[in-house]
Amino acid sequence: MLGKVLVITSGKGGVGKTTAAANIGAALAMEGKKVAIVDMDIGLRNLDVVMGLENRIVFNVVDVVKGRCKPQQALIKDRRIDNLFLMPASQSDNKDAISPAGVEEMCRGLRREFDFILMDCPAGIEQGFENAVAGAQEAVVVCTPDVSSIRDADRVIGLLYAKEIPPVLLVNRIVPQMVARGDMLSHEDIIDVLSIKLIGLIPMDDSVVVSTNTGVPLVSQKNSNAGEAFRNVARRLDGQPDLPLEVPGARTTIWKRLGARLGLAN
Amino acid sequence: MDSNEINSNAVRIKGVDDCLWVQLDPGVPADELKAELKKIFSSGGTLAAGANLVLDGGSREESSRLIGELGPFLLAHFPFKSVRASYEQDQATPGDNRRHDMLRSWRHRRSDALVLAGRVRSGQKVEARRHLLLLGDVNPGATVSAGGDIIIMGSLCGTAAAGQPDDTNVIVSALDFRPTNLQIGPVVAVGGLHRNGGRVQFAKVDHGAIVIEDYLKADPFGKLPWPEVR
Repeated sequence: MLGKVLVITSGKGGVGKTTAAANIGAALAMEGKKVAIVDMDIGLRNLDVVMGLENRIVFNVVDVVKGRCKPQQALIKDRRIDNLFLMPASQSDNKDAISPAGVEEMCRGLRREFDFILMDCPAGIEQGFENAVAGAQEAVVVCTPDVSSIRDADRVIGLLYAKEIPPVLLVNRIVPQMVARGDMLSHEDIIDVLSIKLIGLIPMDDSVVVSTNTGVPLVSQKNSNAGEAFRNVARRLDGQPDLPLEVPGARTTIWKRLGARLGLAN
Repeated sequence: MDSNEINSNAVRIKGVDDCLWVQLDPGVPADELKAELKKIFSSGGTLAAGANLVLDGGSREESSRLIGELGPFLLAHFPFKSVRASYEQDQATPGDNRRHDMLRSWRHRRSDALVLAGRVRSGQKVEARRHLLLLGDVNPGATVSAGGDIIIMGSLCGTAAAGQPDDTNVIVSALDFRPTNLQIGPVVAVGGLHRNGGRVQFAKVDHGAIVIEDYLKADPFGKLPWPEVR
């Protein structure tokens, strides 16, 4: 059976695409799936750093698409998590170095070897975006609870629909206290505008910075709220779409759960 | 309506009363329209003999232009009894028109409205030649533009330009009226438009400026004694 190609995209930069790609990929691999994460941010690669694999790069995605090496030569196996592989981006080329047709061909080959192929899309909607979405069957759109991120996500969702790639939404960096005060948009506000299926809500978590700097995935840290949220996102992508959403900061006392069961929750 | 329809992309012909009503796409060049009409009427045998032809370009201006460009051509090539513009056909009294509308239930009118359902997203643009009715939302960063009215059955959070390019007798209305930018004809309003308070509102031009009012309170069309075609 052929694997599934997912593109992690957002439109806006700095919303957590690379962190999401690394952690969803790691979580899927920990669930027993064979996963390849492809860094499509050609010229500005950093997924290798986030995954702690920067010292092992020989070939990259541009080499694979241009036929200078086989995909297996460019794929770096993670030594801590079985079944997790990284295909790094080139740091010296630019986005025009490869074409969407070449990426599509590469994805067709990878689907025969892997259960999931995650394409880490660069910011923007130009050539890098076109390359990253070329072989994708589904998209995870990452946004943060701010107006500019939502507007860019909305633009990207329109482009994905035009390419017949169904998108799902991942809301990152939620600060529950700010949402409660009304200083931050809630996920309901975001869904009102974007109107697509929500796949996960990731709380703001200091351990993300530590994880990014040390190259240790959040999902392998048991005390990380964001890591737990990413694990649930991976489960929803991996055949459990109805897994209940955990709203960051929501009270889960026995009285609230009982009230919810009795239909008393507001 | 008793009609035998012949359709093409640019030309549609219907039998209306004692006339052949020819609906023409005004966006198609006159030469292409001539070729299409020639093809249809040449293949129609005696269809054209002694017929009264009415040319309809969608609006008075377009019909007037088309009768000037196509009228002499049609009379020269086919044995029509007469060729008139659609507005000349409508030169009946208001009472006659109303009785006709009542009996025919407006079925003889060709709709100029573009009716869409869905969400217009950031970066997308919807343009309607005349009226636009959207069953859905207009997101921030999206643009809707129309030659006539714009009616949004949802949230209007993007840019709306009605009456383009120069018609100020149109309205922009939305169930949730929060546009970032409004334009009616050449008149523009920006900012300070978020004040709906959950009411249905509409914008119109009053004394050269765009004003926003509560739709149900102002009831802009409820005062008309008879349904009129816009």
